[in-house]
Amino acid sequence: MKEELQKVILAAREEIMQCRSLHDLMLLKSRYTGKKSVLNGFMKKLGHLDPKERPTFGKTVNLAKEALVELLTQQENTIKEAQYNHALASQRIDLTMPGRRQDRGSLHPVTLARREIEDIFVSLGFDVAEGRDIEDEFHNFDALNTPKDHPARDLSDTFYVGGDVLLRTQTSTVQIRTMENYAPPIRIIAPGRCYRNDNDASHSPAFHQVEALVVDKGVTFADLKDMLNVFVKKMFGDEIRSRIRPHFFPFTEPSAEIDMLCVNCRGKGCNICKGSGWLEMGGAGMVDPHVFEMLGIDPEIYTGYAFGLGIDRIAMLKYNIPDMRLLFENDIRFLKQF
Amino acid sequence: MKISYKWLQDYLKTELSPEALTDRMTFAGIEVEGIEELGARLKQIRIAKIETRIPHPGSDHLSICTVNDGTETLQVICGAPNCAAGQVVPFAPVGASFGDFTIKKTKLRGELSFGMICSEKELELSDNHDGIMVLPPDAPIGTDMASYLGLADTCYEVEITPNRPDLLGILGVARDLSALLQKPLITPKITLPATAGCIRDTLAIENQAPDLCTRYTARMVQGVTIAESPQWLKDKLLSVGLRPINNVVDVTNFVMMEYGHPLHAFDFAQLAESRIIIRRAADGEAFSALDGETYRLSSRDLVIADAEKPVALAGVIGGDNSQITEHTTDIVIEAANFLYSTVRKTSGRLKIFTDSSYRFERDIADETTEIVSARAAQLIVEIAGGTLLDGVIDVYPAPKPTIKVSVRPSRVEKLLTVAMDGTMIKDYLKALGLECVAEAADELTFSIPPYRKDLTREIDLIEELIRLHGYNNVEPRFFPQTIMNRRKIGSRRMLQDIMVSYGYSEIVNWSFGDPEDMDHLKLDAEDDRRKTVPVKNPLGARFSVMRSSLIPGLLKTASYNLNHGAGSLKLFELNKVFFSSNEKLPMEREMLSGLATGALHETFWKEKNQDVDFYDVKGVVEEILEQLGTSKLRIVQSADSFYQAGVGADILYRNSKVASCGKIDPKVAEAFDIGQPIFGFEVYFDTILESGKVKSPVFAAIPKVPPVVRDLSFVVSKEHSVADITKTIRSTNPQLIKRVVLFDEYTGKNITPGSRSLTFSIVIGSDIKTLTDEFTNKILQKIMKKLEAKHAVEMR
Repeated sequence: MKEELQKVILAAREEIMQCRSLHDLMLLKSRYTGKKSVLNGFMKKLGHLDPKERPTFGKTVNLAKEALVELLTQQENTIKEAQYNHALASQRIDLTMPGRRQDRGSLHPVTLARREIEDIFVSLGFDVAEGRDIEDEFHNFDALNTPKDHPARDLSDTFYVGGDVLLRTQTSTVQIRTMENYAPPIRIIAPGRCYRNDNDASHSPAFHQVEALVVDKGVTFADLKDMLNVFVKKMFGDEIRSRIRPHFFPFTEPSAEIDMLCVNCRGKGCNICKGSGWLEMGGAGMVDPHVFEMLGIDPEIYTGYAFGLGIDRIAMLKYNIPDMRLLFENDIRFLKQF
Repeated sequence: MKISYKWLQDYLKTELSPEALTDRMTFAGIEVEGIEELGARLKQIRIAKIETRIPHPGSDHLSICTVNDGTETLQVICGAPNCAAGQVVPFAPVGASFGDFTIKKTKLRGELSFGMICSEKELELSDNHDGIMVLPPDAPIGTDMASYLGLADTCYEVEITPNRPDLLGILGVARDLSALLQKPLITPKITLPATAGCIRDTLAIENQAPDLCTRYTARMVQGVTIAESPQWLKDKLLSVGLRPINNVVDVTNFVMMEYGHPLHAFDFAQLAESRIIIRRAADGEAFSALDGETYRLSSRDLVIADAEKPVALAGVIGGDNSQITEHTTDIVIEAANFLYSTVRKTSGRLKIFTDSSYRFERDIADETTEIVSARAAQLIVEIAGGTLLDGVIDVYPAPKPTIKVSVRPSRVEKLLTVAMDGTMIKDYLKALGLECVAEAADELTFSIPPYRKDLTREIDLIEELIRLHGYNNVEPRFFPQTIMNRRKIGSRRMLQDIMVSYGYSEIVNWSFGDPEDMDHLKLDAEDDRRKTVPVKNPLGARFSVMRSSLIPGLLKTASYNLNHGAGSLKLFELNKVFFSSNEKLPMEREMLSGLATGALHETFWKEKNQDVDFYDVKGVVEEILEQLGTSKLRIVQSADSFYQAGVGADILYRNSKVASCGKIDPKVAEAFDIGQPIFGFEVYFDTILESGKVKSPVFAAIPKVPPVVRDLSFVVSKEHSVADITKTIRSTNPQLIKRVVLFDEYTGKNITPGSRSLTFSIVIGSDIKTLTDEFTNKILQKIMKKLEAKHAVEMR
């Protein structure tokens, strides 16, 4: 009977090791270790044995059963692990295929530049003021100290829509509107669209400017210089300085033209700055006392500075756009780059 | 700190009610944190007369009385042995409340009782509970006991800010209020009683720590009789929450509450060698205090000692070895001032917080020391008898010079905008005890009373002036400086960002327009967009007007790009359009317009791409309108001629057109050389901004019970719009139907032409309870009935 048991166990071990499915394994489990199993059959046959041998043989059967149970569990784990690995292998994907993304549009570079300019000045305590595009001569010229016969008022320079109604040629109109309506201290920037009767590679008949006006007690030329430096550095980086040169504007005195270090060559001279190392950015100056007087602000008490910069030009420099016309052509291949 | 309304009246006569006074105090910077009605219990008790009394037939100790309280006669069962007819007694009627128990109508052994005749204990007037309280026969019947006993009072709990130690006594508060109410301050008259002997022959004082004890005074009274305080004194202390102890201690507490300067009384007999030594404690020195605790002191603590031992922890607490007892006959009145930081540190370290430490640690004035000493001496002799020894021992090592501060009327006006002339300034400050000592042009110099240590600079005086003048009397001044239209600038950026997130690219076109474009858009002769502003000297005919619509420019840009190889486009522009007007300057309006054509999305390998349709542009518009804060929008067929008839919608908000969207009419598209379906939309940005404020989101409680979702499918004629059907469904039970979502539209096989099948998801939920199936089914049935009746739907 011992040999018979050995045989059965060897066969069982072989079958279990060969088994590759959980279902088959369950059947084997029931066949070899269940109630009606072969091993239980041996136990029932104990009675046929010599009573002396019974305990030893019984023990042997039990140990054999335990070993089989252990083996079954091992094999079950092996099968599960194999199935898991198989499943993972079949679920491998091509990681290089494109991910799902929302379509994204784009903001126009002029908008991007305008936002950045607004944010810089707002962080410096300025309010953003906005004005009209269509203005009268008073706000565009008279109040800005521009003589009646000044060439800027010519039809070849300025678009007119009616008698003395025109498309503003500069955002300085907002200076006047603000001083008419608000008492100092005033600290504004005025971004917006301006128009001049010009159309070529570096001029657009509609273009964008930002004006700044600061009126308070004790505002000086030194404050103006510093503000221009601060702005240019914040906009283009710490190494970009600005400088001012004497110039003439009817509504500021002293007046100045603003240059900043060429963003391309940083002063060495290149084709962008036409070899000078400097780029022209706009005009600036201390508000002319006569402008104050016209608006009922006492120039003995208040002083102020103003400056105007070209947003389009800032955008072109910032994003390396070579031709002004690209800004208004609206080619999607251009727009999508921003 | 507690202040009693009645006590305050001793120094300041005012007709202001306790409530009105609360207000004035608060606006004078003395914040009232709480108000307690004193005598509230006694207010319910009425004085009544026992008219008849007979023994209760069912009891050997109860009596049946009839009591008249001035308005009615009531039967009351009383158990007191001293109860008798004719007595005037305090009577608690039905409804009177004694803390947690309320007088009710009761039956005692078969006899009804409508109230209670009270003992002194029941009224918390004494511990006497031997019998009912009997009042003098002339006590006014019907009056409430609080008024009769003069105990009706209001107690304020006030917060004294750390800069105002002068307000730590009721007199100080009265002084401030007198300045504020412009009523005279009545200061107590201090007249020292007749004296005998000499204090210097009896007591010796030595200040070994002049840096910590800035002034020390002592007076002595011999032969006092320690007893209970008179009622008025006890009432005063009780009214500010202090427990009466004995006449001498009560006087010291009374004077502390009056002047805000704490005092202490020693039993002279207990002072070894009749000496008082002010010194730092020895490290580890033991001190047993009045509170029964023994403390270990350190050399950072200041003690008042006799020749042998500490008898008080300076400014914090007295010692139990020298306290006033019933055997005390001779007393030492200590009035002193101690360095506030020492008191604060000692009190904090030993965790002893007393009315005394509370005041000393707030840096009170040296100068009051002598005044409170005299005041206490006067009252002790008055109340406890005895003889005041002649003189005062006053150890005052370094009296501080009077501080002078100047104020310029011009500066007052500059800072406050309130003009005050010299007289006005002097009047205000005089009421606070400041004396004008010099007057020059635009400069008044004041000597500062010692108790106002907080006034050292001009700005301090200006603060006092406006406090007295009243913050309410400053006219708000407005300089319009809100130049920036943050809403407009913020909204503009938001719109741009939404467009970008929906895949649209921003374009910027010149502001010029071509008059022919108006014809290309098929605009009516009357259309506002025909009222263009002409440019006198244009660049050319194609640029001869200011544009009145962004659409032609967008169509031209689309056309340009389609001709340059783009198959799909999503474009927008946010800019101004112009209209001629009757004003000198034409009208300028900001608009957002956009176009979309071709594929809805960029190609994604996993999905089949769809083309843009009406609902895509409508979705963008819906998103924008929601983000701009509009709601309850109405959708109608568009009046704009450039949309294809039936595929263009105008969106109305508060009856104004705020947006439109639709398919560009193929002929219009063709005029701009566009051959593929193209969809457009416009948002009237300025109109929306002008239509009112954006509402902030308001949080609604998250329902605790999950809602039920049911689908409803039916066939309905195309005449009925989804908006109408949705409305019908919602209206069935607007409270419980939370959401109605269109789930599916189907036309074709099995559906009659002219009809469509619609499926709605209906979310039903209650915020409070779980809805049963039965209940939700009932709602669904109601919905179906309504749909059948209103829209002739056929359920599927």
